Amino acid sequence: MEPTREPHATLVDLLDRILDKGLVIHADIIISVAGIPLIGVNLRAALAGMETMFEYGVMQAWDERTRAWERAHRRKKEVSLAQGEEIILKMFGSHFYSKGIYTTWRSGFFYLTDRRLFCGDFDEIILQTALEEIRGIGIKEMDRPVARGKREELFLLLENGKIVRLHAQDVNQLREAIEKRLTEMGLVWEENPVLPAREVRPQELFLTDGEEVVCRGKMWYLMPASSRRGWMSDTWMPGTLYLTNRRVYWQHSLEEGTTFATPINAIIAAVTEVEGPNVLLSKKGVLDVICGTDGVRTLASFSGEEIEAWKSILDGIIAKRGGTPADRERETCPQCGDAASVQELLENGCAQCGWVSPRFKKQLAYVAVGKPFG
Amino acid sequence: MEADGQKGRYLYCIAAGGEKVSLGPIGIEGNEVYTLPYQRFCAVVHNCRAQPYTSADQEVVKPWFIVHQHVVDVAWERFGTVLPLGFDTIIRGGEGHDPDENIKGWLKGDYDNLREKMEKIRGKAEYGVQILWDPMIIARKITETNPDITKLDAEMKSKPRGAAYLYKQKLEKVLKGEMEREADRHFKDCYHRIKRHVDDLRVDKTKKLDKDKQMLMNLSCLLSREKSTGLGEELEEMTGREGFSIRFTGPWPPYSFVTSG
Repeated sequence: MEPTREPHATLVDLLDRILDKGLVIHADIIISVAGIPLIGVNLRAALAGMETMFEYGVMQAWDERTRAWERAHRRKKEVSLAQGEEIILKMFGSHFYSKGIYTTWRSGFFYLTDRRLFCGDFDEIILQTALEEIRGIGIKEMDRPVARGKREELFLLLENGKIVRLHAQDVNQLREAIEKRLTEMGLVWEENPVLPAREVRPQELFLTDGEEVVCRGKMWYLMPASSRRGWMSDTWMPGTLYLTNRRVYWQHSLEEGTTFATPINAIIAAVTEVEGPNVLLSKKGVLDVICGTDGVRTLASFSGEEIEAWKSILDGIIAKRGGTPADRERETCPQCGDAASVQELLENGCAQCGWVSPRFKKQLAYVAVGKPFG
Repeated sequence: MEADGQKGRYLYCIAAGGEKVSLGPIGIEGNEVYTLPYQRFCAVVHNCRAQPYTSADQEVVKPWFIVHQHVVDVAWERFGTVLPLGFDTIIRGGEGHDPDENIKGWLKGDYDNLREKMEKIRGKAEYGVQILWDPMIIARKITETNPDITKLDAEMKSKPRGAAYLYKQKLEKVLKGEMEREADRHFKDCYHRIKRHVDDLRVDKTKKLDKDKQMLMNLSCLLSREKSTGLGEELEEMTGREGFSIRFTGPWPPYSFVTSG
């Protein structure tokens, strides 16, 4: 098979490279794009090459997971052991992972060593337990997670009451190896211990003392670009948005470390995009939340089925504090200082100098008018 | 001494060569492209106004992109190794500096980093590999070969409307799960097969190119042109599978492999 660079056939491939990639200059010597008014529809959208958020479904979530897997894969190939530690058995499998409202089976390689059992997916250790912690071992037939039928799963009851639930290519072999090693170490355990009927669901772990969830809902968040995290451009990410008695908090549905939060008091306005120039998101619309402390303003963008409901909720919170909803809320253009309503600034840009919000500037670059390309 | 309207430098790439040369009037809007050397590298630029190129007309913008890439290609051909920049990277002057000083200052400060990057990509090019499948064909294959699903499907067809609808829901859910697993298997299988032929690779977000097809994998690969034959052969073997297709593009200058700080 021969690679091609035929311009007509590979324009999207070219754009993906020259618009999103290339050498990054870490010095303040570049003309930034933010100051210039850019209006219209992205050329790439016209080429139907843009990632489209409203097509979200199984495959897109899978795509993000696979890329996350690859990122982890790329970092390191060998698993690290302690001095003198030896691997007794290595077997591919998965363990049941549960945190807050999120549960899944996470797969990787199980390593049974002379002192611990851990499960790693290349660089990342996703489960670990010292062998001394094992108080009970049992095998149970459980329903398969997706297809019909049953399969055997290995349950480990630990000293601290925690239950580890796992599945592997040969669950019996794994159990025998663990039991053999425990015997060698002079440890005892309970055969087929009685397991609690249902695991107690822990609270959402991000909550602080005295903080309670008021409401929650599925919501996409526009994560700003961060070369440190490997996001080359602003990226829409799936997750859950929470309103608590203290904050608005968003968490990525798969990567817990990826979050956004703002205290309620810092929320200045909430604006839904009624009819934006952004054709990609017109099916669901966008909720822009303006937050600010000490004169520094930030914009958080969300999208999902319930943005109107969230806007009402946030408007209510702002009103209670004595603020005004965004269409009456006055703000100044960050660029020229001209006064305008928040809604006006976000939907149409500044009438005076043409400033548009950062979210638009990327989406609206390099106008295409009317007909699709080609 | 620049004219007032020429205070910016449109930067195409950094090339591995220390001479000051002109590449001719091949730049955007017919501007003359020339090099600004610093030690063993040079910045490939044209003089422009200190503001980005924007236009309301697709027919104006598209040729700019093509010209940008063409200039990078010419520099690549001429100098052998280049670090390409994205479109519309325009260097400005500052208080008391002209843009050339800013460029030299940056090249000086970042010299070691740039040298490392040049070493990494020397003699290599970037190739795009995308694997797509037709979900209808794959779904049909799975339905035919997976016993659980075949059974569900048969049961569904034998039921009256209401019950059949419930079966259909369940079938779709199970099918989705199977397709995800199949996609996962293929991704990892293709990934490992391709990895053997390349020196480095990046997994990019999948794209929607065609309404009938789903992209499973979008890779940018870094390898020498000689090795690309081997990669092509591997991809040739992979195209045989029913329902799958592959897009193989390149050689590109290594845009994806010069990005990190």
